Amino acid sequence: MIRLENVSKVYPTSTRPALDDVTVDVERGEFVFLIGPSGSGKSTLLRLLLREDVPSTGTVWVANWNVGRLASRRVPRLRQRMGCVFQDFRLLPNKTVAENIAFALEVIGKPRHTIRTVVPEVLDMVDLGGKADRMPSELSGGEAQRVAIARAFVNRPLVLLADEPTGNLDPETATGITTLLERINRTGTTVLMATHDRQIVDSMRRRVVELSGGKLARDDHRGVYGASR
Amino acid sequence: MLFVWREALIGLRRNLTMSIAMVITTAISLGLLGAGLLAVRTIDRTEDLYYSLIAVQVALDEPTSADDPDCSGAACTDLRRDLEANPLVRSVDYESRDAAFARFQRIYAGQSILQLVRPQSLPATLRVTMADPLRGEEIVQQYSGRPGVRNVVDQRSTVADLFSFLGNVRNATFVLAIVQAVAALLLISNTIQLSAYTRRTEVGIMRLVGATRWYTQVPFLIEAVVTGVVGAVLATAGLVAAKIVFLDRLLSGRLLANTIPPIGMSDVLGDVGPVLVVVGAVIATATGYVTLRLYVRT
Repeated sequence: MIRLENVSKVYPTSTRPALDDVTVDVERGEFVFLIGPSGSGKSTLLRLLLREDVPSTGTVWVANWNVGRLASRRVPRLRQRMGCVFQDFRLLPNKTVAENIAFALEVIGKPRHTIRTVVPEVLDMVDLGGKADRMPSELSGGEAQRVAIARAFVNRPLVLLADEPTGNLDPETATGITTLLERINRTGTTVLMATHDRQIVDSMRRRVVELSGGKLARDDHRGVYGASR
Repeated sequence: MLFVWREALIGLRRNLTMSIAMVITTAISLGLLGAGLLAVRTIDRTEDLYYSLIAVQVALDEPTSADDPDCSGAACTDLRRDLEANPLVRSVDYESRDAAFARFQRIYAGQSILQLVRPQSLPATLRVTMADPLRGEEIVQQYSGRPGVRNVVDQRSTVADLFSFLGNVRNATFVLAIVQAVAALLLISNTIQLSAYTRRTEVGIMRLVGATRWYTQVPFLIEAVVTGVVGAVLATAGLVAAKIVFLDRLLSGRLLANTIPPIGMSDVLGDVGPVLVVVGAVIATATGYVTLRLYVRT
C-alpha cells in the first residue's frame, strides 16, 4: 500500500538530508507507528506521501501512484484517497463540524443526498452525533481531533496518515483517539501514525518504524517505543 | 457549485472596503470607456448627418455670375457637363447669384449682416454633391483655376474643426479610461492577493483534503467577475444619469441643437451597456486568472 524505495530528501536550505536512503514497505490494512525524535524525518516522510514535497531521490508509492512523479493536477486525486490528521487538527474555522466533514465529500463531488446521510453516520462513529452544528472553536481538543479523524475517514481512504494526532491532548483523550484510529484500521484502512507518545506505542504493540537522523533505525513488528532506552 | 458562490460572497464581504473601492474604480473606468464609445457613435452619426448635407461649391467668377444667370453660357455649361461626367460626382445643382442672395436673406433674416451684403457680393455656384464625400479635395484640385471659376470650396473642411473636436473628446475619454482601467486592474489583482492571503490556511486545508486548485480558486475568480459586472452596471447607470442630467440638455440646447445628434436611451442601454458588462467581466476574469497563476501558489 505504501512503499518507499531508497528515498532521500534534501531540503535546499540544509546540508544534512531530512531523509536518508529510507526503504519501508507497508502492507494494506497494517497499523504502523512512525517514531523518532523531532527532526528525525517523520514529518518529511508524511509530506512526501501526501505529495506536499517530492523526494530528492528514490521512489514513493502509495497504492499504485508513483507519488513523486505524479503530475500536480493529479495530486487532488491522490489526496482524495488518503486521509490525514494533524496535531493542530486543521479544521476550517468558519464551518461547523458537519460542514467540515461534508467538505471532504463536496470536494470529490459526492451528491448532496449522500452527504446528508454519510455525515451523521461518521459523526456517530466518532461519538460526536450531538455536535454537528458546533463551530470548531467550541470544541475541546479531543473533540476537534475526532472531527478531523471523521473528515479524514469519511471518504473511506486507502491510507490514513496521522501526524502526532495526540500531541496536543491529555493521555486519556490520547488513548481514546488512538482507539478510534485502531477501529478505523479494522475496517481495512491502512494507518500510519507518527507519534512521540511512548505509552501509546508500548500499549498497542503494533509495528514500529523508527527514524533517526533521517535514517531508518528500526522496523519491528509488534514493537515498543524505546527498547534501547 | 453552491460552495464556490458562498465562498466568493464571503470573500467580498470580508474585504468590504476593498470591494467597494474595486467596484468604484472599475465603474469609473468602464464609464469612461462607455463615454468614449458613445462619442464614437455620435461622431459617426454627426458625420453621416453632415456628409449628406455638405457639398463642394464651385463658385463662378464675376463675369459669369453677372452675365449668365441661368447657366446657359459656354463657360458654365462646359463646367457643368464636365462635373456631371466626373465619376466622383453624384449630382450638380446650379444656384444663380439671385438665388444665392435669396437664401442668404433667409438664413440671416433679421441680422445686421444683411445690410452689408448685396447680390454682387455673392457668386453664382455649382453645388456638387459627391459620390464619396471624403474625396472633395480632388474636385477642388481638378477645378480650381478653370475658366469661369472663382474658387472651389470643399465644405467638409469647414466642419473638420467640429469633427476634430469630437475626435479629441473621444480620444481623451479613451486615454482616461485606460489609465483608470490600469488602476482598476491593480486593485482587483491586489484584492485577490489579499483575499487569497487571508485565506491561505483554509485553502491549504482544502488542498490537503483533496480539493483541486480550480476548486479553491474559483471563489476568487468569482469575486473578480462580480466586481467587474457590478462595476459595469454602475457605469451604465452613470451614463444614463449623465445623459438625462447633462447631455440631453446640452445637445438640445441652443448651441448644439441640430449640430450634434442627440444620444438615445437605446444607445446607452442597448448598445454600450452590454459591451461594458462583457468588457468588465472579461477583464476582471483575465486579471483574476493571471493574478492567481502568478502570485497565488496554494
